[in-house]
Amino acid sequence: MNENAPAKMGWGHLAARCPLRARNPEERHPIFDQIEKFLKNKTGVAGLIIIVFFTLAAILAPLLTPYDPNENALYEQLKPPVWAEGGAAKNLLGTDDMGRDLLTRMIYGARVSLTLGVVSVGIAFLVGSFLGAIAGYYKGWPDSLIMRIMDIILAFPHILLAIVIVAYLGPGLRNAMMAIGIINIPRFARIVRASVMEEYGKDYVTAARAVGAGNRRIIFNAILPNCLAPIIVQASLGFGAAILDAAGLSFLGLGAQPPMSEWGAMIAQGRQLILRAWWVMTLPGIAILFAVLGFNLFGDGLRDALDPRLRD
Amino acid sequence: MMKKFVMLVCIFVFLGAGSALAATPKKGGTPAAEPKKEAVAKPKKGGTLVYGRGGDSVGLDPAYETDGNSFMICDNIFEALVFYKDESTALEPGLATSWEISSDGLTYTFKLRKGVKFHDGTAFNADAVVFSIGRMMKNRNVKFSGKGWEIPKQERPPEYWVSMGMDDTVDAIEATDEYTVVFKLKKVQAPFIANMGMDFADIISPTAFIKDPKAFVRNPVGTGPFKFVKWVKDDRINLEANKDYWDKAKGPYLDKMVFRVIPENSVRFLELKAGNITMMDFPNPADIEMARKDPKLQIISQQGMNIGYLGFNHKKELWKNLKLRLAVAHAINRKAIVDKIYQGMGEVAKNCIPPTMWGYNKEVPGYDYDVALAKKYLAEAGYPEGKDLPEITLWSMPVARPYNPEGLKVGVAMLGDLGKIGIKARIVSYDWGTYLKRQREQGQDMDLFQLGWTGDNGDPDNFLAVLFDGMESAAVRTQWQNEDFHRLMGEGRTTVDQGKRAEIYKKAQQIMYDECPVLPIAHSIVVSPELKKVRNFKLHPTNSVRMKSVWLQ
Repeated sequence: MNENAPAKMGWGHLAARCPLRARNPEERHPIFDQIEKFLKNKTGVAGLIIIVFFTLAAILAPLLTPYDPNENALYEQLKPPVWAEGGAAKNLLGTDDMGRDLLTRMIYGARVSLTLGVVSVGIAFLVGSFLGAIAGYYKGWPDSLIMRIMDIILAFPHILLAIVIVAYLGPGLRNAMMAIGIINIPRFARIVRASVMEEYGKDYVTAARAVGAGNRRIIFNAILPNCLAPIIVQASLGFGAAILDAAGLSFLGLGAQPPMSEWGAMIAQGRQLILRAWWVMTLPGIAILFAVLGFNLFGDGLRDALDPRLRD
Repeated sequence: MMKKFVMLVCIFVFLGAGSALAATPKKGGTPAAEPKKEAVAKPKKGGTLVYGRGGDSVGLDPAYETDGNSFMICDNIFEALVFYKDESTALEPGLATSWEISSDGLTYTFKLRKGVKFHDGTAFNADAVVFSIGRMMKNRNVKFSGKGWEIPKQERPPEYWVSMGMDDTVDAIEATDEYTVVFKLKKVQAPFIANMGMDFADIISPTAFIKDPKAFVRNPVGTGPFKFVKWVKDDRINLEANKDYWDKAKGPYLDKMVFRVIPENSVRFLELKAGNITMMDFPNPADIEMARKDPKLQIISQQGMNIGYLGFNHKKELWKNLKLRLAVAHAINRKAIVDKIYQGMGEVAKNCIPPTMWGYNKEVPGYDYDVALAKKYLAEAGYPEGKDLPEITLWSMPVARPYNPEGLKVGVAMLGDLGKIGIKARIVSYDWGTYLKRQREQGQDMDLFQLGWTGDNGDPDNFLAVLFDGMESAAVRTQWQNEDFHRLMGEGRTTVDQGKRAEIYKKAQQIMYDECPVLPIAHSIVVSPELKKVRNFKLHPTNSVRMKSVWLQ
């Protein structure tokens, strides 16, 4: 293939135009303008900080806590958090009804939630983008077929569809991730399809075709990189939704199975104790709240920065 | 969309925190007194009792049902020939005033109570008994004294009758005069008379049954202290007092009874606290402490006639290894489970029959919690430190039962204990119906399973043979094949002398200890929280809920 393909084609051009090397602002890749713009958005940055916080907690989990999240200590059950009456520094956020350290379980819960976010959004992202690109590029019957299927999926209340899928696959975190991935495919497919259609007639696509690029290369190396902005926004928003959906499924007993420390499952477990040990249910709830909030703020911030229609 | 979700979570969390604050226990609250014995108080008539329970009845024809929620209603509508005493399974006269057993143990003659009427006005007599029991027989070898009835064909097998092998026991039922019934047996059956007090042997109104055999399960007619009024499926069953009840000295005192279905344990408890229901079954162990502190509530408790156990799948090659079973038995800290998950409402079990039952073998030492010993057994089993042992499945019960209040938590605790000796396990659970069905299939995907049992009639045979003698039938839930045990069960059933039977069952318990077919976990204490105004409610060891003599202050 042509080594000197247009700069917009492919992924390698980003590194070549990093702001440090590109003295001339004219040569700077526009993505750095967008980063700058994002950094000016306070709520977006707040979201980013929350995400970084949870990510660090998830990665460093074994270093942050001396306990094993699944080690029972029945005789230590339901110790209140340190600030409440009867709490001790040994268990900063208290213990649950199996005597497990709640802070430890929440930190490890971040691992579970972030992993499932990555996996389920990953599934939706890959499959959705692929289908959307095919539909948008070829139009005609592939478009009708794919998009009608997507419409059917979208017509279901989505948590209900997730329940149906999990009920079919069997309960468990892995299947819950699959189910959440599947129900989110149409969102990505729609966005990508619209973007691909928009890009389709542009000059660089025609140019790529003129130099003899095949359909596959045009779709994946030319068009898709230019549709990234809305996909990234959707992915970061979808991340929060995925965590919520997974928590919902786990709460219903269809997601993470005991003794896994998943936030939704922890809420379900604490529900019976709500009158006696409020912390078992409330604290994981707060964790979900902040994690989802973080991704939503981040996603909104990204949209403001990336969406050309919102540009000033 | 997204924001709505976030809002929901917000609301959820703050509600949680709010109710948590509201629920912070007040200091110095007076601990609720246990119900006082008011031997002299004269029962007061009238009032409506609302009973909150975890699930709805399946049907109301006692011959065909097997579940506690069905029998709970039947207990109040129907009566059997013999009654169990208020708080034990000792027998007393019921619809039969007396009975005689022939010297060879094969003929039982019951003299019936006179002047009893069914709720529909039909007179209770020997023919009604022949009809009620006779309809369960496969081969209708019955004789009426009057003109009798044509017994309709069975819609489905009467499960208790079949699973207890009554067709192999009962040869013929004959009404010799209007108030005498004779049962002729094919073989000596020591528990037979106790069996006649069980729910399946309740006497029903033949005329009501004949009128529409299919509708009877929804329209039960018996002789009991309460009449059936209305059943709204999955919501409520209404009963009213039987004004013509034969034993006026004992009740009924209540005008009406409502059995409401409130599936969630904690919601049911909140309803009780709010006074919307009068009493309830299966509180969360965690709520019992709160009930004790609540000045409006009182708690009735009784040593339950039950056993919760952890079974091994004997259909799987792996668990034929005795050392491996022993490793599991010694690895699990059952005391911690009873102390902290049963919340002390029970005791660690040594045997698979409750200690209150005759024939209980005190000499059996029981399995100690001993990690070192468990590891040693594991090594001897061929899996040192759990090496080469595949991940096993631990089936945990999804519902609260009297013998195991929180199966999943018990499962999590066991998982931790097994992990300590190097056995990797994961929890498997299904909804209760599926769980019971698949457990019976004994598939290769099941290694350990939690189950339990509440006795029906106070006989050790009703525990040991029914639950563990896998050689008797494929329907037995622990498919353990042990010749000696099987032989003892047969002997126990055909021996009449109770002293001799006790010896037989003691031997059987020793074999169970040596062979470890299951790990007994606990005998629980059954607890029922109720409003303070409830008087004279007694928990029965069989878990039957009998409201005949209950009254409201």
